[in-house]
Amino acid sequence: MPKITYTFSLLRQFYLMERMKTLALVATVGPIYGPEDRCGPRGRPLEAAKAGDLAAFELLMRQYERLVLVTALRLLGVLEDAQDASQEVFLRLYRNLSRMEASSNFPGWLYQVTVNVCHDMHRKRCVPAPMEEVAELPALTADPQRTVVEAERRRALEMSLRMLSEKERAALVLRDLEGLSTEEVARVLGTTEATVRSQTSKARVKVRDFLERYFRRRT
Amino acid sequence: MNCSDWEERIALHAGRDLPPAEAAEVERHLRECAGCQVLASGLKQSLALLKEAHDEPLAAAHFSAVRARVVAELEKERRPLWQRAWAYGLAAVAVGLLVMLALRPGRAPVVTRTNRSLTFAALSPPAHEQAGNGGEVVAPLHRRVARRQASRVPAPQVVRTNVSNGEPLIVKLLTDDPNVVIYWIADRKKGD
Repeated sequence: MPKITYTFSLLRQFYLMERMKTLALVATVGPIYGPEDRCGPRGRPLEAAKAGDLAAFELLMRQYERLVLVTALRLLGVLEDAQDASQEVFLRLYRNLSRMEASSNFPGWLYQVTVNVCHDMHRKRCVPAPMEEVAELPALTADPQRTVVEAERRRALEMSLRMLSEKERAALVLRDLEGLSTEEVARVLGTTEATVRSQTSKARVKVRDFLERYFRRRT
Repeated sequence: MNCSDWEERIALHAGRDLPPAEAAEVERHLRECAGCQVLASGLKQSLALLKEAHDEPLAAAHFSAVRARVVAELEKERRPLWQRAWAYGLAAVAVGLLVMLALRPGRAPVVTRTNRSLTFAALSPPAHEQAGNGGEVVAPLHRRVARRQASRVPAPQVVRTNVSNGEPLIVKLLTDDPNVVIYWIADRKKGD
C-alpha cells in the first residue's frame, strides 16, 4: 500500500512539473496574438517542439502564423490556397526543427519556404482564380460604409497584385507590404539587391498605373 | 534627360530605397518637374493604400483552421504503434482464418504405412482395385472424378498391407493435379 501511495505521489509531481513547464513556455513565447518576434523564438519552445511537444510547436505556429498566412494570401490571392500553403510551410518547419537553432533567422526561413511553396502551387494550378472571386464583397456589418470602403480597398490590392509577374509580386509583397529590407528580400528570393530594386520599382509603377485606372473607372 | 528615365528612381524614392545622394538628386528633379511630381504622389498614395489593405487583420478563424489542420496531420504521423495495432491484429486474424480453411478436416490427408508405399489419395479407390494391387497405387480414373469434384474432396481411405522389415519405405503423394505425383523413398532399418 505505501508503495502505491509513493507511486501516486511521483505521478502527481510529474504532472505538476509538466503543467509548470507548459506555463513557462507560454510565458516565454509571450502574447499569443502579438507581433512576430523578428529575432526568432527563444530557446525553450523550440527545444520542447524539437523534443516532440506538439503544444510547444503550436505556440511556435501562433507566433508566426500571420507572417506565413498573410504572405501566402498576397502571393496566391485565394484564401483557401493560402491556407493550404501555410499548412505545408508549418509541416516543413516541423520536419526541419532538428536543424533549427534558437539563433536561427526564423522569419527569413519562413518567408523563403512560403515563397517557394506558393511558387510551386502557382505552377501546379493550371487555371488562375477568376477575378469575380476577388470582386466579391463581404457581408455588411454594423458600419456598412466602412465595410464597403475596406472591401473596395482590399479588392484593389488583390487585383493590382494580380497584374504583376510572379517575381515582381514577391518582391513588392516582401519589400513594401511585409517591410523587409532590400537585402533581406534578395536573400529570401535568392537573387541580387539590384534585381530586387528593379523588380520593386517596376511593380510599384504598374500598381500605381492600375490603381489610377481602376479608381478613375469606378468614379 | 527625359522624364521616363527618372521613373525607376522615382519609384525607388517612393519606397525610400535610394541612398541619400541619389534621393537628393531625385528631390531636386521633382521640384522642377510637375509631371514627375504627379507620378511620385501617385506612387506614394498607391503604396499607402496597399499597405493599409494589407494591414487589415484577418479573422482569427482562418489562423486557427490552419493550426488545427497542421496539428491533426502531425498527430496522424506520430500515432503510436499500439494505436495502429488493430491493423496488425486484423492481418493476423485473416492469416489464421486462411490456415484454418486450408487445414479443415475434410481436406486433411491421412498417412498410411504400407510395406511398399504410403498413399495420399484424392479419392477412395474402389474395393476391387485395393484388393488387386495390394494398396500400392490409386487408380488414375478417380483423379478425373476428383478434378470434377475439386470443390469438395472426401478424405482419403487408409490402405494397409503387411509391412516387412528391411524394405525401403516408398511414399507416393497424389496431388489434385494428375500431372504431379511425388515419390518419397526412405531406407528402413530392421526393427523400425
